[in-house]
Amino acid sequence: MTNPSFMNGVPELLILRTLESSEMYGYELVQAIRARTNQTISLGEGVVYSSLHALESEGMLKSRRKLVNGRTRVYYALTRKGEKHLAGLVRHWQHITEAITLAIGGSVHAATAL
Amino acid sequence: MPQPRFDRLSERLLCAGIAPRHVRRYVRELGDHFDDLVLEEQVGGARCELAETRALTRLGNDDNLAEAMLSRATRSLTARFPWAVFGLGPIAMLVLGVVAALGIEVGLLYLISAAADAIGLEPNAATAKWGTLAFTGYNMLAVYAAPLGFAALIYLVGSRQRMPRPWIVTGVSLTCILGGLQNLVFYDTGVRHGGVLVLQSALLSPFPHLTQGAGLFSPFPHVAEGLARAAANLAIAGCFWWLSTRKKSVGRHRAFAHRANIDARTAGT
Repeated sequence: MTNPSFMNGVPELLILRTLESSEMYGYELVQAIRARTNQTISLGEGVVYSSLHALESEGMLKSRRKLVNGRTRVYYALTRKGEKHLAGLVRHWQHITEAITLAIGGSVHAATAL
Repeated sequence: MPQPRFDRLSERLLCAGIAPRHVRRYVRELGDHFDDLVLEEQVGGARCELAETRALTRLGNDDNLAEAMLSRATRSLTARFPWAVFGLGPIAMLVLGVVAALGIEVGLLYLISAAADAIGLEPNAATAKWGTLAFTGYNMLAVYAAPLGFAALIYLVGSRQRMPRPWIVTGVSLTCILGGLQNLVFYDTGVRHGGVLVLQSALLSPFPHLTQGAGLFSPFPHVAEGLARAAANLAIAGCFWWLSTRKKSVGRHRAFAHRANIDARTAGT
């Protein structure tokens, strides 16, 4: 899924959720998101950095440079503020998911009644 | 590490007012990501050029990458308030610079005076001559070199952030002209505590009532000399500007040639 109108807020949620378990650098993060979503949601791989930088400037993420196999990587990790924000986002998305599930179920019932 | 592959993206972001440090970081991370993608594609069996093409496709084109950054990043202060940086900035820097130079000089004079008192050194014509010479050298450095240093700083800030040329010219010219119209004068009379230190500034001239009786401050008395110094500052700044522009144009030509080479290779695959 790449439709922008359906993707509003999704990259942020996925990034925060994925970084909840461990710190990651950009490439690693994109691969992790692809694996977690069964490749259903494909983020533009380069586009993820603007989201990471914005989340960092909002205080949701923190970054640090780390030397790994001779290359300097920028690792991102969730902050306390990011954890709280993620909890709010998850609740919000759960409400939306429930509402959509209900709506889909409703339309199926209506179609059956007709 | 320079990333010639993303030169056009960098230029676009800088011209849109994104701060150079954000652009550098974005491009560096994109470069790292690109290298990882190329490696992944090569492990999957793609040859070098095909791997690079696929990696670029996965990363996103310049339009998408620029749009993503521009939609979320804040524009730099210089891009948002150029009038403050290039209009008020030179005045603030010159005032602070000359006040700092003056403060250091006053401190040094007190220290030297205290040290002379402590060792019982009596002021005489010889000490007055050397004192005057040393502090005149310091003052010349402060009033001649500092404005040129500030002008270089203004130029650097403006050109790194790809600001429109009129803003940079305004900032550099203001610094050179006003910098030429300020002066620090010190002379030792050879009498104990008889040194004279005067700050002269054209910036004070419109407000003579503020400087009357202030002692330390006075309006700039030799306007012709000041204008000559301002012209010299402008000429020196102009020469450096020309040299820097020439050097940059050669560098840019090489970078674009390199990029064209990459594009041609990518198109060939």
